[in-house]
Amino acid sequence: MDMFAQILSSGIAVGMIYAVIAFGFQLTFATSGTLNFGQGEALMLGALVGLTCVDTFGMNYWVMIPVVCLFGMIQGSFVELIGVRPAIKIKSEFGWIMSTIALGIIFKNVAENVWGRDALPFPSPLPMEPMNFLGANILPMEILVVFGALAMMLLVEFFNRKTIYGKAVVATANDRDAAGLMGINTSMVITFSYALSSLTAAFAGVLIAPLTLTGATMGGALGLKAFAVAIIGGLSSGMGIIVGGLILGIVETATGFYISTGYKDVPGLILLLLVLAYKPSGLFGKSAIKKV
Amino acid sequence: MMKLKSLLPLLIAIVGLFCLPLFIHNPYYIHLAETILIYTILLFGLDIVVGYIGQVSLGHAALFGIGSYTAGVLYFHFGWTIWGTIPASIIVTAFFGGILALPALKVIGPYLAMVTLAFGTIAQILINEMTWLTEGPLGIKIPKPELMGVPMTKAEYFWLVSAILIISMIIVDRFVKSQIGRAFEALRDSPIACDCMGVSVYRFKVIAFVISAGFAGLAGCLYAYSEQYISPNTYNNELAVLFLLGIIMGGRKSRLGAVIGAAIIVLLPKLLDDIYLFRIVASIIAIVVVAGAAMALSKQLTTPRRVAIPLAGVVGLAAFSFWLNSISDWRLSIFGFMILLVVYYLQNGIVGFTKSFYQSMVGKAKTTRGEDAEVVDDSISFISAVGKQNTGAELLKVDSLLMQFGGLKALNNVDLSVKRGTIHGLIGPNGSGKSTMMNVLTGIYVPTAGTVLYAGESVVGKTSSDIALSGIARTFQNVQLFGEMTAIQNILVGLHHTFKSNMIEIALHLPRYKKEEAEAHARALALLKFVGLDDLANEEARNLPYGKQRLLEIARALALDPELLLLDEPAAGLTAPDIKELLRIIRKIRDSGITFILIEHHMDVVMSVCDTVSVLDFGQKIAEGKPAEVQANEKVIHAYLGT
Repeated sequence: MDMFAQILSSGIAVGMIYAVIAFGFQLTFATSGTLNFGQGEALMLGALVGLTCVDTFGMNYWVMIPVVCLFGMIQGSFVELIGVRPAIKIKSEFGWIMSTIALGIIFKNVAENVWGRDALPFPSPLPMEPMNFLGANILPMEILVVFGALAMMLLVEFFNRKTIYGKAVVATANDRDAAGLMGINTSMVITFSYALSSLTAAFAGVLIAPLTLTGATMGGALGLKAFAVAIIGGLSSGMGIIVGGLILGIVETATGFYISTGYKDVPGLILLLLVLAYKPSGLFGKSAIKKV
Repeated sequence: MMKLKSLLPLLIAIVGLFCLPLFIHNPYYIHLAETILIYTILLFGLDIVVGYIGQVSLGHAALFGIGSYTAGVLYFHFGWTIWGTIPASIIVTAFFGGILALPALKVIGPYLAMVTLAFGTIAQILINEMTWLTEGPLGIKIPKPELMGVPMTKAEYFWLVSAILIISMIIVDRFVKSQIGRAFEALRDSPIACDCMGVSVYRFKVIAFVISAGFAGLAGCLYAYSEQYISPNTYNNELAVLFLLGIIMGGRKSRLGAVIGAAIIVLLPKLLDDIYLFRIVASIIAIVVVAGAAMALSKQLTTPRRVAIPLAGVVGLAAFSFWLNSISDWRLSIFGFMILLVVYYLQNGIVGFTKSFYQSMVGKAKTTRGEDAEVVDDSISFISAVGKQNTGAELLKVDSLLMQFGGLKALNNVDLSVKRGTIHGLIGPNGSGKSTMMNVLTGIYVPTAGTVLYAGESVVGKTSSDIALSGIARTFQNVQLFGEMTAIQNILVGLHHTFKSNMIEIALHLPRYKKEEAEAHARALALLKFVGLDDLANEEARNLPYGKQRLLEIARALALDPELLLLDEPAAGLTAPDIKELLRIIRKIRDSGITFILIEHHMDVVMSVCDTVSVLDFGQKIAEGKPAEVQANEKVIHAYLGT
């Protein structure tokens, strides 16, 4: 029972991180129908920039977060301008897939050259003493991860639903051409959605960093699994990614515990393949009708 | 004569490959050349997925690894020789390719890319973790294969790889030029039309992945013997990206492109190990690109704006190379950078770019015509005569059909009865459900309720391709041609059902395949002539004028030997003379006994050819009868004019 509670609590924390990154996938997919294959690298850069702020510039963890968010926005805009916009212009799906992958590779390589190849520890802003809750040892940082992730998603949702700029984002998501004709600068909106998407990724990076190690290679697996979450939950369902994230996080932690940590990435990816094979729109997504 | 000319490069290649180990004795260079050949085999396979069916695969490094490990495991645990491991690697990897294709059936584009990425990651994890089978991170050592009890020398193994490469090249070339290759391209250009031509998209996607994986497995197997040591780390996602870079940079849909691509991705890392060499090469590339851009600008083929970014890129790369002391740490960045440049400025690869650059410089358009200015054999019966024996009997019966999208009833209790040998018009205002009816009849939509009987059999629940093969052909309201294929190839896709030959017959060019190909070709030409497009046979469909595209669609539908032909607004956007031509064609087809359902807004067309007309409005049938009766019907006038 204790073990179960432990797996559950660790799984939830990991799952919420996946959900936040998956949320970033949803943001860009909604406005432009594209995904940033380098989303994991955006997270990694966020974490490393955060580490530099804390270690080198002696910033407080809480002060560092807005700096990292700003950095995420700039990084996301850059990805959109270099990798996605030209592809949208020439309507090449192949183009944005390859160029976001390429940018991901470049970011990773740059990070390796700047921060080195070793994984670095990230100082925790909260005490690292585990608290006992229902027989499970829970780190305060894990609670922060869950609430931080939820807060970030709620904030963006609030922005989209309540502000006029958010309405522009939603309008573009619904029909880019019509939104353009209504005077919305849709390419600006798409850039913005990338900025927002990388912001959430960078934020997720500094949330998870104290729990894991930080390094150039931390992003790849996280990005792929977040994609799995986005697909399992459905690329259009906010509820879906949270449920998907939790499922994946818990399954993974359980696999790591009961089978072997080497296999821990496998069930999530198999789940991804199964969902794509049987319900490509995701567990919570609506399937679209194809028009001829 | 023609034949000899096209065989010449192949002969030179064979001689060159044979001589290479005789003149170069440095084992390092032989090994490098060997690796290029092995990667080329893999790129042949990858090209089928990327170039021909137009999907991004990031799983080919894993397939390559599965090929290597099949060979490694069979040698290590069971002591198999290379003659056993080569076929085993091909079969095992092809099987995994099939598994990879299963989720790929339902998803396309970015989803598929991610699926293949997930597949690659899983495969790498499994190879790493299943130590009882694969020895895990330790890897497996494999000696060079033996030939009559003696281990092969470096040169002998090189010859073996070369021979396999040549065979692979011929087989791939034959595959992609056969009905299978046409099916691949058809499903890339328009999956829906492909299904409606009786070519199952699902089936051919799986076949493409299986063939592609087979080549990856073959390459993996050869690689294992070439390196003599395999370990899981080799087959990572970066290698998968590298393969993609190779195929795009070399040039898709081209055997030469695969060779160039393989050479680049093998030599590039070596080049990046040597900073001095890299500086020289980067400078040369910068000079060549600057010179090329200057030439293009002087001939006003491009604008300064368009060349600015690639120019800045290559010049920047050259400058970067002089600033750095060591390049090997930045290898991946340079790969990434090259991918960006290639994706946006070299989309057709080096082969495609050189071709089009050469043409624009020489100022000579590609003369695809004339090359086979074949004589159309008039004696061929290009329309299969359905016969008039049963004229008047019921061919299609639709009974209380309901098609619901959420709350919208696009078709609401519609009955329809189409008699053999007649032209049945289907008219109605926009949004009345006409095209929905077509889509239900051809299996694109599954109706919510109701029955559709075609020649006494229900079509509900059958796949589009099965329905097409049972004799219902169609055209589309918004033209769905296979754009990158020529006019005659479009028709040949329609004639896919006439081919019975299998892959072995194609690979060996056995008589049955050659006969089928020749017959199909002759019939396709006859069909083109029938719609007046025989002189445009070798023009890409997307380059045809709109009216011709519509005629080509009809000819393609006819190739299916249909009994029932559904035409969705064939006259839309046609000029008056074109419409006259269309009417002539429709009447001619009807005379051979084919039944029509015709959706049309041009009332003169409807009134002049239709035997019966049904009118739909808001998903319901409001009138039916002879054209003149319908024209006078109060409800119809009301529906159209809304008074």
